[in-house]
Amino acid sequence: MPLLRPPTRALGHLKPSIRRHRAAKRHIRTLSTAPVPTSQLQPHVEGIPLSMRALYGKKTHKRIKAIPSPPSAHNICPTPLATITASQLSVLDPTGARTRLFAKTNPDAAKVGDVLLVRFRSGDPFAGVCLNIRRRGVDTAVLLRGNLTRVGVEMWVKVYSPNVEGVEVVQRRERRARRARLYYLRQPKHDIGSVENLVRQYNRRKAILGTADAKTASATAGKKKSKKNRKL
Amino acid sequence: MIQLKTLVNCIDNSGAAIVECVKVLRMKRAAKVGDRIIVVVQKQRNFGPESGPGGSVSISAANKVRRGDIRHAVVVRTKKKYQRPDGSVVGFDDNACVLINKSGEPIGTRLNGIVGSELRNHKWSKILSLAPMHL
Repeated sequence: MPLLRPPTRALGHLKPSIRRHRAAKRHIRTLSTAPVPTSQLQPHVEGIPLSMRALYGKKTHKRIKAIPSPPSAHNICPTPLATITASQLSVLDPTGARTRLFAKTNPDAAKVGDVLLVRFRSGDPFAGVCLNIRRRGVDTAVLLRGNLTRVGVEMWVKVYSPNVEGVEVVQRRERRARRARLYYLRQPKHDIGSVENLVRQYNRRKAILGTADAKTASATAGKKKSKKNRKL
Repeated sequence: MIQLKTLVNCIDNSGAAIVECVKVLRMKRAAKVGDRIIVVVQKQRNFGPESGPGGSVSISAANKVRRGDIRHAVVVRTKKKYQRPDGSVVGFDDNACVLINKSGEPIGTRLNGIVGSELRNHKWSKILSLAPMHL
């Protein structure tokens, strides 16, 4: 019978095998398998290249060494800036007088609007109305405005500077200034002008009273002076 | 900060009252205290400060410079605040200069007004010694 097959169906013998394959595929498609626990799973060795088969199942990676985190600086010094400021102030202002003079908590502290006199180690003293106090720890500075030879001069002075010998209150403002920065005193309308007379009076008074109680004297004298000025 | 066209007070007795900056020398920035500039005299003083009133004869004699003259000058005060090495900051209420000749000697014989002590760093000690005060 095979001889009777027409020669045009030369590929006919493929058909049964294709049919078989299709049936198998159909079978696989509808196949349902029960889940196998992972412990029973065998290693799939066939998929691994021959060269790597020896390594299979062994732990090849090294344990990563865990480096303990460095000790926190916070435990050693919780407030480093405050500590540094304090240590610097202990050198620059051992008595704490200047800290007190510009402390916010001190009711007798120098305030804006007061006439301050700054004595320098090198050079002449400078006096002027305090326009602004910049409280920044060791960098605390005051802005003084004065008149020298009829020219307005403004000067920021670092309070804790080693060049500053002393800061004295020549005259206190009669009433508390209602602003933190008295920049309006730069306007000609509000300009106080020269404080030379006030400083001269203050120096004379200080010379009479003596240097020992000059600090307290300046406070009281300032008040007296201010009253006088008001009358004038 | 003195630059082109800035009007600057002249504080010596050379006869100039207000001068205008036309050039800041040796710099590409604005001039500060101690810097040399070229100025044009814009306004003359009516009389020399020391000659006093009624000296109409001495007007021309006291005035060593005239309006329109081009001169060299040194800045002695600036409105712009500048910081010193010690941290203090200084500023004045006006800009002022002193006229000098080409060789650097002041034209006037006296100054009226405070000058910045930065002049010393720039070797203007002659001007510094003429000044009544320096800061």
